[in-house]
Amino acid sequence: MKYEMFDAKKIIGEVTLQEADANPNIVVVSTDSAPRTGMTGFITKYPNRYYELGIMEQGAVGVSSGLATAGKVPIFCAPAPFVTARPFEMFKIDIGYMQQNVKAIGRNCGFNYSDLGPTHYGLEDMALARLIPGVTVLAPIDASQLRGAMRAMLRHQGPVYLRIGTAPIPKIFEEEEFTIGKGQIVREGKDVAIITTGEIAVNVFEAAETLAAQGINAMVVAMPTVLPLDEAIIKKAAEATGRIVVVEEHYEVGGLGTAVCETCAKLAPVPVKRLGVPHVYLSAGPYIDLVKYCKLDPAGIVETVKEFTTQEK
Amino acid sequence: MEANTLNELKKFALDIRIETLNMISKHGFGHMGGSLSVADAIAVLYGNQMKYDPQNPKWDGRDYLVLSKGHCGPALYSALAIKGFFPREELLTINKLGTRLPSHVDKNLTPGIDMTAGSLGQGVSCALGMALGLKLQNKPNMVYAIIGDGEAQEGQVWETMLIAPNKGVKNFIVMLDNNKQQLDEFTNHISSLGDVRQKAEDFGWYALTVNGHDPNAIDEAIEKCKAADKPGFINMETVKGKGWQAKECVLNNHALRGPAFAGVDEVIENFRKELAAMQ
Repeated sequence: MKYEMFDAKKIIGEVTLQEADANPNIVVVSTDSAPRTGMTGFITKYPNRYYELGIMEQGAVGVSSGLATAGKVPIFCAPAPFVTARPFEMFKIDIGYMQQNVKAIGRNCGFNYSDLGPTHYGLEDMALARLIPGVTVLAPIDASQLRGAMRAMLRHQGPVYLRIGTAPIPKIFEEEEFTIGKGQIVREGKDVAIITTGEIAVNVFEAAETLAAQGINAMVVAMPTVLPLDEAIIKKAAEATGRIVVVEEHYEVGGLGTAVCETCAKLAPVPVKRLGVPHVYLSAGPYIDLVKYCKLDPAGIVETVKEFTTQEK
Repeated sequence: MEANTLNELKKFALDIRIETLNMISKHGFGHMGGSLSVADAIAVLYGNQMKYDPQNPKWDGRDYLVLSKGHCGPALYSALAIKGFFPREELLTINKLGTRLPSHVDKNLTPGIDMTAGSLGQGVSCALGMALGLKLQNKPNMVYAIIGDGEAQEGQVWETMLIAPNKGVKNFIVMLDNNKQQLDEFTNHISSLGDVRQKAEDFGWYALTVNGHDPNAIDEAIEKCKAADKPGFINMETVKGKGWQAKECVLNNHALRGPAFAGVDEVIENFRKELAAMQ
């Protein structure tokens, strides 16, 4: 394997503990969900700052909001659909509207919970979170960014939603410094821009190398912040290449692909191909099979980009 | 309770009813029924129980109220104005463009409001979070949440009712404005709460039932809850539209609009006479 691999949940736990040592206001809210989000170290060290509420995600969002009113910095962590879809209205009002300093972590996003099937997939979490004004939406791409994003999230004043998968996460970048709201050009290219977010990005990087070997030079843009969106970098990519492919482990509807289309329509109209999860109910199945089915594996990305770049504009 | 204190609370409650009816009738729309049923509880909280500073609404030492039945904002706004959080004249801006006083209570807009509410069922959870956060800091501040009996049909209320006693919060009191009605119907005709005091006790709360229009009884119940080693639950037996006799316990008294306010001026005038007689 090309990259060293890490356990995303372990990183979340480690950074939480480091930040909690420095900030006594950090607390953790669980709905039968925190130990499996890497929080065991925090729970052991700070049992009085840990709230296991049982399986009540709607109420947990409210409790988190109230804790923020009392000056705490609550981290509420659970599988992505139970942090976003189930308590959506509570998220909207109790966290978003009131701009409460709550940090929500949705794990097993995308179809990372492939063994558990559609009830546990998080394929619309970014769409829901980015509908709420003032919520920062983060989807780090690699282990270094995840560390940086965790730190940035916990030091940021205001509501944040951070999504992660559960598959081992590669360490691609050395740099851990993370600036909320900034995308980065990872690879220069002139034929097409591939904009991507979250851990599926590693497949994009591999695909870009394959494409280069076949004569297609793709610019690759990493977007670990989905809201607020770095519109300037999208405009730059559109103007430099004239075509954009967006790759994400999320429904093609409502996520980064939609956000990029909105930005291009406003600032730099170019053709955009969204390569995400088709807007249907997916089967349960092995994760890698689902990735291939959605053409989110390197070969699928290469095939999609080649097809798109040979189309007439 | 001393007679003078009781008299002051009754006057305060009357004043809340006057200002509430005045503001919503002049605007031409407002949640009359629940605002009048909860007026006495709010008078006790802001007249004899809660610690607050109208000049510094975010004072660290304040007690917190989450009016989870957020549509009864007019009653709370009246109390806040009477106590000096903002001028009484501002009450007449309710629901005007750019107002700080929307129908439903709003933390972002109104001095003295600590939690936005309006979508029913969410306030008890938020209030529990506040109580837990204050407890963690060993602060003495109390947290109160007022919910409606119709609101208690929301499942989220009961999630929190179940967990709160398990978390050892003693600085937390939930007050149920049990006015027996909701928007469409009498609550019992839709989904009876049954013996809600017993239910709360079974969930692990220190639970009492009181006459929700008797300031002395409400005040005593709060004192008992504060002394208990559990979170407190007060089932306040109330009358929707309390004080406007023609509107008490009748259908369609939840919110009034336009012509439905016919007769309100006479009711307000009678309240004013009653208040003057108590001075």
